[in-house]
Amino acid sequence: MSTTESRATGAGMYDELPEPETVLRISALSKSFGEINAVAGASLELHRGELCALIGPSGCGKTTMLRLIAGLERPDAGSIELEGALISGDGVDLAPQRRRIGMVFQDFALFPHLDVGANVAYGLGRRADERRVDEMLALVGLAGAARRPVHELSGGQQQRVAIARALAPSPKLILLDEPFSNLDAALRQQMRDEVRAIILHAGVTALFVTHDQEEALSISDRVAVIRDGRIVQLGTPEEIYSRPTDRWTAEFLGEVEVLDGEAEGSWAKCELGTVPVRDAAEGPVAVMLRPEAIALDANGPPDGRPSVVAEVVSRRYFGHDQLVEVELPSKARVRSRCLGLPAWHPGDRVRVWLDGPAAVFADGGAPARDAP
Amino acid sequence: MVAAAAVLPAAYLVIVCADDLVATMETILRARTLAMALRSIGLAVAVTATAIAIAVPVAFLTTRTTLPGARAWATLLSLPVVIPSYVGAYTYVAALGPSGMLQGILEPLGIERLPAIYGFGGAWLVLSLFTYPLVLITVRSAIVRLDPQLEEAALVASRSRREVFRTITLPQLKPAIGAGGLLVALYVLSDFGAVSLLRFQSFTREIYISFQSSFDRGETAALGLVLVALTLALVALYAGTRRQGSHYRSSPGAVRPLRPVPLGPWKWPAIGGCTLLAALALGLPLGVLLHWASKGIGDAVDWGAVGTAAWHSLLAGGLAAALAAAAAISISVLVVRHPSPVSRLLERAGYAGYALPGIVVALALVFFGTRIALPLYQTLAMLVIALAIHFLPLAIAAISAALMQVPPRLEEAARTLGRGSLASFMTVTGPLAATGVAAGAALVLLNAVKELPATLLLAPAEFETLATQVWTETTFGFYEGAAIPALALVLLAAPPLYLLSGEGAHE
Amino acid sequence: MPRARTAAILAALLAALLAGCGGDSDQSPADPDAPTGEAGITVYSGRIPPEIGPLIDLYEQRIGRDIEVRFGETAALAAQIVEEGENTPADVFFAQDAGALGAIQDQGRFERLPAATLERVPSRFRSTEGEWVGTSGRARVIAYGEDVNSDELPESVFGLTGEEWRGRVGWAPLNGSFQAFITAMRLTEGDDVARDFVEGMLANDVQPYENNIAIRDAIAAGEIDAGLINHYYVAQAKAEDPDYPVEIYFPPGDLGSMVNVAGAGVIAGSDQPQGAEAFVEFLLSREAQQFFSSSTGEYPLVDGIRADPSLVPLGEIPQPKIDLSEIDDLEGTLELLRSSGAL
Repeated sequence: MSTTESRATGAGMYDELPEPETVLRISALSKSFGEINAVAGASLELHRGELCALIGPSGCGKTTMLRLIAGLERPDAGSIELEGALISGDGVDLAPQRRRIGMVFQDFALFPHLDVGANVAYGLGRRADERRVDEMLALVGLAGAARRPVHELSGGQQQRVAIARALAPSPKLILLDEPFSNLDAALRQQMRDEVRAIILHAGVTALFVTHDQEEALSISDRVAVIRDGRIVQLGTPEEIYSRPTDRWTAEFLGEVEVLDGEAEGSWAKCELGTVPVRDAAEGPVAVMLRPEAIALDANGPPDGRPSVVAEVVSRRYFGHDQLVEVELPSKARVRSRCLGLPAWHPGDRVRVWLDGPAAVFADGGAPARDAP
Repeated sequence: MVAAAAVLPAAYLVIVCADDLVATMETILRARTLAMALRSIGLAVAVTATAIAIAVPVAFLTTRTTLPGARAWATLLSLPVVIPSYVGAYTYVAALGPSGMLQGILEPLGIERLPAIYGFGGAWLVLSLFTYPLVLITVRSAIVRLDPQLEEAALVASRSRREVFRTITLPQLKPAIGAGGLLVALYVLSDFGAVSLLRFQSFTREIYISFQSSFDRGETAALGLVLVALTLALVALYAGTRRQGSHYRSSPGAVRPLRPVPLGPWKWPAIGGCTLLAALALGLPLGVLLHWASKGIGDAVDWGAVGTAAWHSLLAGGLAAALAAAAAISISVLVVRHPSPVSRLLERAGYAGYALPGIVVALALVFFGTRIALPLYQTLAMLVIALAIHFLPLAIAAISAALMQVPPRLEEAARTLGRGSLASFMTVTGPLAATGVAAGAALVLLNAVKELPATLLLAPAEFETLATQVWTETTFGFYEGAAIPALALVLLAAPPLYLLSGEGAHE
Repeated sequence: MPRARTAAILAALLAALLAGCGGDSDQSPADPDAPTGEAGITVYSGRIPPEIGPLIDLYEQRIGRDIEVRFGETAALAAQIVEEGENTPADVFFAQDAGALGAIQDQGRFERLPAATLERVPSRFRSTEGEWVGTSGRARVIAYGEDVNSDELPESVFGLTGEEWRGRVGWAPLNGSFQAFITAMRLTEGDDVARDFVEGMLANDVQPYENNIAIRDAIAAGEIDAGLINHYYVAQAKAEDPDYPVEIYFPPGDLGSMVNVAGAGVIAGSDQPQGAEAFVEFLLSREAQQFFSSSTGEYPLVDGIRADPSLVPLGEIPQPKIDLSEIDDLEGTLELLRSSGAL
């Protein structure tokens, strides 16, 4: 099987090379539509075989990025290289059909006049053979559906066909535009895992666009955060979640609590304790914490770390966990995400301490909470 | 290239008028010119509104309801498009005129005089009856391509059928209604035969007077230019209906046929309405033609000549339809996918070819044909090119409306799958817009087979078509002889219309 | 599948296209005679096949070669010849009325005809410049139906403005012969008389028709009782049906039954002037003149050929001294017809 083989060699190369091989390199890419700068100097590198999420709020230029990479739009400036070859920029603008980049559209864009098999075979052109179509349909779990008209399929099935169609011509890169936004919640969960499995199995490098942080964090190898047309952070899901480069990113990716602090070189002190600072600083800073990094108990930390006394203000219960808001001695309020038991009640006195990574922003972490 | 050919008629008028600008201005500024233009506009507005009022309900009945025999109705009610309006007018005068057949029937009952068929009322009635199929054909093919999910969504939101039609379906059909309506309006502006027979003084009649009586090409061309200006204004008006957003299907996935609306108690009124319309637009003219034909059949009818003429009509019309469809696709792609002021202007100028009387278009091609394409002059190729230019707007209207309904996303998908833009078009957009392309080609075919002035001037010598046969016989006053080729025209048109009406008709 | 059906339509069109290309090559050397050296002449004819078909056949037999005839409306063909300019394929223009011949003459697109040809026809029936010659004549008459007693008929057309004819008369204001008649009236009786006549007719509820034939048929149908037409249309109808209920009347007074002509000329720059002249000559031959007389009921114009004896002889019809092809005179007539509301 060619797909498993390529996967195997890919893994082999991964072992040998300390630096992963770059498949896609985007440099200072820009595109504006009239007054609107959809993409403004974005740079990004994708490694072979990885699944990378491009996440950002609506209107941040994610879809335009994908369309530029696919060749459906022509950039105003910047360059795109695919496997080391320039495909856009510097006077080069390879037509989409010559880029060998597959794309799964948000609305799937299945050809309504063709059946499932013909949709999948479409990109194979003259090389079309039934074995490849069957192989692809089997890969997406639709074996035997080749003769079915596409309008008879459910949403999830249509998506699988769209993926099979994009993968069939063995593209160097596959782009997925909000692949799950057209599916209902339950199906979305299931399809996320399936799509990840399919893409990993196919061994193809994939870039997908989403505005859902849970989606981005749960299935990608790396996540690129895009804001106002530029990539503001690229890293593993863990990195960008726990060490966001700025407060906006932090807030975009999940709930945050912010405490005033005082930096002294590589460390910063706040009400809950001392935390490491990425870039050494002096003076007042903002210390950003995730609620799950704030622990709480009646007796304080078992290992004797420093803790403060606080009063429970409110509580929201989610079953497996609960979100408890407490008031610190400084009257600052923070939320702690902890296990569902014991049940805290407003007025309970507890001890609160730091139990996880924190990010420190010297400039107060601008832009502020109400950014996009 | 294509667009350049399409603006030849307008270019010819400009060249001729440039000879004597003073005379041109004098002609254009005559009070009579304005008065006649207003009369024609009035007639065009009335006929267009009536044609839309007739065609839209019929289009809906024959695509979306349980009307029994929907496909047969669609074919039958599209057929009047092929009856040349002057033949239609002849039959109406013969049937309803002051000494017509109906009068003959009613006279013993003491009815001395019928309401006059002549004048505005008659022209309105007759032109409406023979042009509404232009709207019917474009709107039907648009309904078939509609996204049913929008309507389903609205229905689920417990809106009434009527409200859904008004708020969802109708706005979606606007481009097609606009396109069909535009064609009707332009046809009315260009028509001479019917208005003249029905004694309605129109702008085109004015052009004929100047052309036929004073042999003044300058005056004819100046009046022609006024007509071109009117056309551009109308087309700009139509562009307004198109600009209001795009009309692609919004939801993912493919078109599922919508469940037909049960007519219930409305079944009989619907059938009654269709029957009445068929009787007026088809039954009456065919009845008169058959009556004449039966009188003429005793004389030796040269069936061989009719057969040859039918073949010639089909040949020239078919080739013109194919050529016009190909040209219209390229223009429509340009206008729909790459809109720019230049592409829009070219498209609009092309419409002039349809609004000008056939004789003016024919003379323009005589002018250019003898100057730049002499080897082709008066060959079949020349005739085909002339017919294609004359009727190109019919194809553009139908095809651009169809293209507008195909989401560009699908073409993009094809391109990311390794197909070039031409291949993407041929494999995705083309097939999806096929109903529109077929409708456009059919409209050109149906109009080309009945075309007369350009055929007379540009066909190879002694290349008789059904239309020239009808003309020869009526010029000679021999209606019995004219009836047979006229009936043959209708027979010729039936198969393509039947194929076309199969789209979306619920059996 | 509906798609299959549209595909079938497209395929059919394509097939027609291909078939057409094949058919095209059969026909496009539009000249069957080309290989034999000299091509046949091309005639643009405003007179239609039923009127002159047999005559063309006879001529082709006579010269042993096909000639090419393009039939069309006289005015359209005249405009076509003007637009074609130097490159016109036409060698002869055979027109239904003198106005169109005048238009071509005005544009300098006619060759002068040989004197011998011209002189076969009285000077009032040919171009003063010698560029076209009349081939047959038609008189403007009053046609009337069964409801009219012949003694009711007026001395001249001016009588038709009388109250007793209210709503009973038809005319064809778009028709070239009618317009020529009004031109003659203006030139002989004066503009005011002509205007009074036109306005009087309109005030008398004259019914406008498309052409002479429509008037004739309306009289036959009883829609109107009388009309101003060319005489020979009635003869044609009677040839089909001897009981055809329309008669013609040559008003003796005033303008009388002005005679108009159909005629022909040789196009300037014709590559076969001799062939073209021969054809025009043929139209004046005894056979052709007799054909016009017996088949279409027109007046032969060449001396010595007798017209249908039931017609008022040509010599007895007063003829105004006007040049039938003078376009400038026509302008005034159009102006009159337009301003009075007849057009």
